Amino acid sequence: MINVTKKWLFLKISSVILIPLMLWFIINLVSIYDKNYLEVVLFFTTQPSKFLFSFLVIFAFFYSALNISEIFEDYLHNEKIKNVANKILFLSAIVIPILTIIMLLFLKV
Amino acid sequence: MENKNPISPHIQVYEWHISSLVSISHRITGVINILFITLICFWVGSLFFGETVYELVQKILLSSFGKFLIISIIWSFSFQILSEIRHLFWDMGYGFDLKVSKITGLIVILGSFLITILVYLLGKHII
Repeated sequence: MINVTKKWLFLKISSVILIPLMLWFIINLVSIYDKNYLEVVLFFTTQPSKFLFSFLVIFAFFYSALNISEIFEDYLHNEKIKNVANKILFLSAIVIPILTIIMLLFLKV
Repeated sequence: MENKNPISPHIQVYEWHISSLVSISHRITGVINILFITLICFWVGSLFFGETVYELVQKILLSSFGKFLIISIIWSFSFQILSEIRHLFWDMGYGFDLKVSKITGLIVILGSFLITILVYLLGKHII
């Protein structure tokens, strides 16, 4: 399988996983965004929220990194700029989810 | 002699159609969603740094701008969900007919607003 096909397959698999996760999150976001500290911590430290939110963050960054790299491919014609932009993009897509999940794991009520 | 031909692709030379509107919006919301997810990660991070930091972030969320931000996140996610479902149907070989494509494009646009309202009402336990 060539790389472009793999990239397309990964995009499609992650989008199928993301659809229910995004729907679950926006419904819960509306019900918790105005709640106090303890209630919000309780939401993020109990299951299945902890597990589902971690998955959402991982797949959202994975999907977006692939998606935005396609935009770079279409609109950035300078190879050097495109490489730097892709490196920053993929680094952020790894670092932000890892840091968020670590903070989530150490979060206590 | 100066060449006055437009450089292709140039978005302003095309006549707008529902399909092109949904297509460009799909890309824009894709980029905006990752910014929203990053903001959500910072919000979760504020919980880790304690109640004082969280309350500072919550002040912004409870302002008019904060509420606008929450509604924007819901709409942008809803649009991406519907548009992605439309893409998945295309990948399976359905919905390429011009008329069907226009209808599904309209469903994505109008449906995203409808889902935003429904999600808000569901989240607030109004329905």
